Amino acid sequence: MSFSQRPVIEAVRLTKVYRTGFRMRRIQALVDLNLNVEKGEIFGFLGPNGAGKTTAIKVFVGLVTPDSGTAYVLGRSPKDHRVKRRIGFLPESPYFYDYLTAEEFLLLSAQLSGIPRNEIKPRVKEMLKMVRMDYAAHLQMRGFSRGMLQRIGIAQALLYDPDVVILDEPMGGLDPVGRKEFRDIIISLKERGKTVFFSTHILADVEIICDRVGIIIAGRMVKSGRLDEILTAEVESIEVTIKGATGKFRKALERVSLRVIESGDLIMLTVKNEDDVERVLAIAREASARVTAIVPRTKTLEDYFMSQLKTAGVQ
Amino acid sequence: MFNRLFSLAVNTFKESIRDRVLVALVVIAVVVMASAKIVQPVAMGEAEKIIKDLGLSAITLFCVLIAILVGGRLVYREVEKRTIYLILARPVRRLEFILGKYLGLMMVLVVSLVVMTAGFYGVMLISRVPVSLYLIWSVVMTLFELAILTAVAVLFSTFVSPIASAVFTFMIYFIGHSTPLLKQLAGMFPSPVIKFFALFAYYILPNLNNFNIKGEVVHNIPLNFPGLLLSAGYAVVYSATLLMISVVIFNRRDF
Repeated sequence: MSFSQRPVIEAVRLTKVYRTGFRMRRIQALVDLNLNVEKGEIFGFLGPNGAGKTTAIKVFVGLVTPDSGTAYVLGRSPKDHRVKRRIGFLPESPYFYDYLTAEEFLLLSAQLSGIPRNEIKPRVKEMLKMVRMDYAAHLQMRGFSRGMLQRIGIAQALLYDPDVVILDEPMGGLDPVGRKEFRDIIISLKERGKTVFFSTHILADVEIICDRVGIIIAGRMVKSGRLDEILTAEVESIEVTIKGATGKFRKALERVSLRVIESGDLIMLTVKNEDDVERVLAIAREASARVTAIVPRTKTLEDYFMSQLKTAGVQ
Repeated sequence: MFNRLFSLAVNTFKESIRDRVLVALVVIAVVVMASAKIVQPVAMGEAEKIIKDLGLSAITLFCVLIAILVGGRLVYREVEKRTIYLILARPVRRLEFILGKYLGLMMVLVVSLVVMTAGFYGVMLISRVPVSLYLIWSVVMTLFELAILTAVAVLFSTFVSPIASAVFTFMIYFIGHSTPLLKQLAGMFPSPVIKFFALFAYYILPNLNNFNIKGEVVHNIPLNFPGLLLSAGYAVVYSATLLMISVVIFNRRDF
């Protein structure tokens, strides 16, 4: 296999145990975790809190050494400086040196990344502009809001124009506008051929932008693949909304439905399949009621995620 | 490597300079030196020595406090506040990180020494005490003592909390100034166990008395310069050894 064909991020049977507290209680953070992220894709790393997402990410950026198993980023060890130079990393709820101004912090980050001296200043200016923080360049980060810090966080991650961008819970603490901007940045990275790996427990973000997802529960990768493979387009149920059905017709409708929700003179019925839809429509015609909507419901990522959690026995 | 080392040192310097604790310590030091002026009317000719002695002692004491208090949380705070993630995820060696932090604090101590010494000379001028540049030698030796203490504080800071680090470093400072006692202790007890531990401590702990030449400079006694040079070399080697141990500990850590 030639170098260029290897996955950008590759984890082979990663295992990590932490020992904490006075009695050195064992906490199994990663268990035989396997994972591949291909070049140019946006990979969503999903899991409930404490599933091991952050530990896995720390292995990929060389902050944690696994007990067993191997991780490769760009075909080499994550501790290799040639690799680190090509990774942009944003930790979960990042903390910065709050005594520095935003600009000073980015200058420091640039110096440590080995950006050529004459490129540092223009690059920092450009990044501040990109995350729309140029107005706060000379303010100490002490007083920054969570959203402002997150913007500086993405700026420092993208400083060196990295090939791989690893983000731990990048949407945490952002308002809807901020999340939209963040998604746009991630998509623009993909358009420029970068590989993006990010962890989250916000499923909606993943459904919108990810090419592939991996689901990690209790340190194990329980599923990974393309979203459309994981979520088969099979119709789970159909929702029918009817206006103006009363009396005995209502009772008849309730009998064929799985669930009935009423709101004013609207009734929303959930039925199992198309045959039931036909029955509902027949009753509605008889009652001279109006059918205002018929919506098939396919399995969502949330449904899938919840069912996986249940199988794994996690509350 | 030197660019990164320098950037990390400058950042540590900024961190400390923008910290109120440091400013407070430097100001208090100068105030303490100035307080010696109060004794002038009652000291009957001894005032000059008292002002000089107190001034040099205050410089040492407050710089030692800075080294212990700031040094003790130098590395720990980066880990606790998780700022270290953003440094070590970049192409920065852990060795560079430790050395950068250490050199940054040494820069702070040099600046503090300069400011305090300037304050000291100011107090001498105001008190109309004959000013002598000979006193500077004591400050120079204090710098070498601080090099060792800072390395001790950084070493502790890689694996214990700031408070524990400050306590341990202060103990080492205290014992380091009484190492001759350890040797006496070894001679006094017949028990081989006590003898072994006393001698072990004597050889392993830094002998900080070598850096105390306040008596000599205040009383204008000629200095043993080859001896001082040897002490300076000892400080460099001792600090470098401690820093290497810190790096070894730090390299094994997960974050």
